[in-house]
Amino acid sequence: MVLDPAHGGTDPGARGTEGISESDEVLQFATATKRALEAQGFQVVLTREGNDNPSFDDRSARANAQRGAVFITLHIASTGLTGTARVYVEPERPAPNNITGLIPWDRAQTPFLSLSRKLGELVQQELSKRFKGSPDTLQTAPVRQLRTTAAPAIAVEISSVSVKERAELDRMVPGVAEAIARGLTDFRPTYVVPTIPVPGGSVKP
Amino acid sequence: MNTKWTVWLGGVLLAAVIAAALYFPALRRRVKQAKELTEKTAEQARRELLPVAPISTGDPMVKAKMFWGSRGQEGELVAVVVELPLSRDPVLRSKQVLNTLLAGPVDAESRTLPPDAALLAFYILPDGTGVADFSDEIRTSIPSGIQSEQLAVESILRTLESNVPQVLRLKILIHGQEADTLAGHVDLTQLFRVNAKDAAGTQLDNPSPPGSKLPAPIRKAVETVRKATKR
Repeated sequence: MVLDPAHGGTDPGARGTEGISESDEVLQFATATKRALEAQGFQVVLTREGNDNPSFDDRSARANAQRGAVFITLHIASTGLTGTARVYVEPERPAPNNITGLIPWDRAQTPFLSLSRKLGELVQQELSKRFKGSPDTLQTAPVRQLRTTAAPAIAVEISSVSVKERAELDRMVPGVAEAIARGLTDFRPTYVVPTIPVPGGSVKP
Repeated sequence: MNTKWTVWLGGVLLAAVIAAALYFPALRRRVKQAKELTEKTAEQARRELLPVAPISTGDPMVKAKMFWGSRGQEGELVAVVVELPLSRDPVLRSKQVLNTLLAGPVDAESRTLPPDAALLAFYILPDGTGVADFSDEIRTSIPSGIQSEQLAVESILRTLESNVPQVLRLKILIHGQEADTLAGHVDLTQLFRVNAKDAAGTQLDNPSPPGSKLPAPIRKAVETVRKATKR
């Protein structure tokens, strides 16, 4: 399980009231989610544990280097109804015209899209139970981080850094961690690494 | 020093302190105003260099659909009909509708693009690919986040789709350069589908790293825009 607290280093992400920066807050969400997932028996790695800023590709590589990984990138928006959370997956793209069985890095997410949607729906359902005003269904958006990730991958965006008090965001941490852990637990039995169709057969990535 | 001189000197010093206390806030205000004026003038000068899409009174009045944010439904766009004199030329027409989109709706909260962002250039390639080049403010002034960036891009795509059928797909550049993302989230390396009639799926789904494997016509357009907008 690869958890990605977005931004970091010289990139603070969204900035809001009380000096809140997205890069600091997502680290807190990621750490709590890691604990919740480990309690369910998942092996979890974070793409960053301090205030550094790995590239999009380096973050994806943490998941791409392992077979059977799952990737969740965590964000806090500067807009949106306070106290809500949304799940995003990549929009549908046709499968690459593949004759080698290798997945092009830039299209790495494509073979995993249906799994990403399944995971996204499960996590969104859990989030909407806990955070009133959150959508019931997942959204699609061309999120840069997801495109190069060869694993079921979702982005979770929480609203927002524009809260009146930092405590409002802090109160969301256990609920978000629990929702992700529950969604992932429900997803685990259905996760079969997809095969890539190539002329004359198929290849497992 | 006798008492008379001491009193006199003390009086002068007190008067100086009072005068300084009154003068310094006024001086600070004036410096701040001068700074703002300089910034505005620089911004104004930059914009005056940009070729503004002319709205000619000879152009026919058209009911254009502009897509701005919905106040009632968060994260949604709503079509607003605006009557505008729009050119028949698709490039000019694209510039006119995008400039109107940038100018924003009456209700400022429904904006999808930052008020200080500008459209620097717009091209349409022979295969129907539009290339829109925006100023840096589109990424520096937009509220950061997946939802807000997605809404900004969608508002551009839907506005072009509704008003300029010749644009089938769109490449978004920032100050003449291909950008990885709009403001850290939404992927700008790809071509966005504008018109449902566009069947060029292979091109649309072939994102490439900045400046490297772009299709030849896009690479040429990027280079043209880069030269035109060179700082």
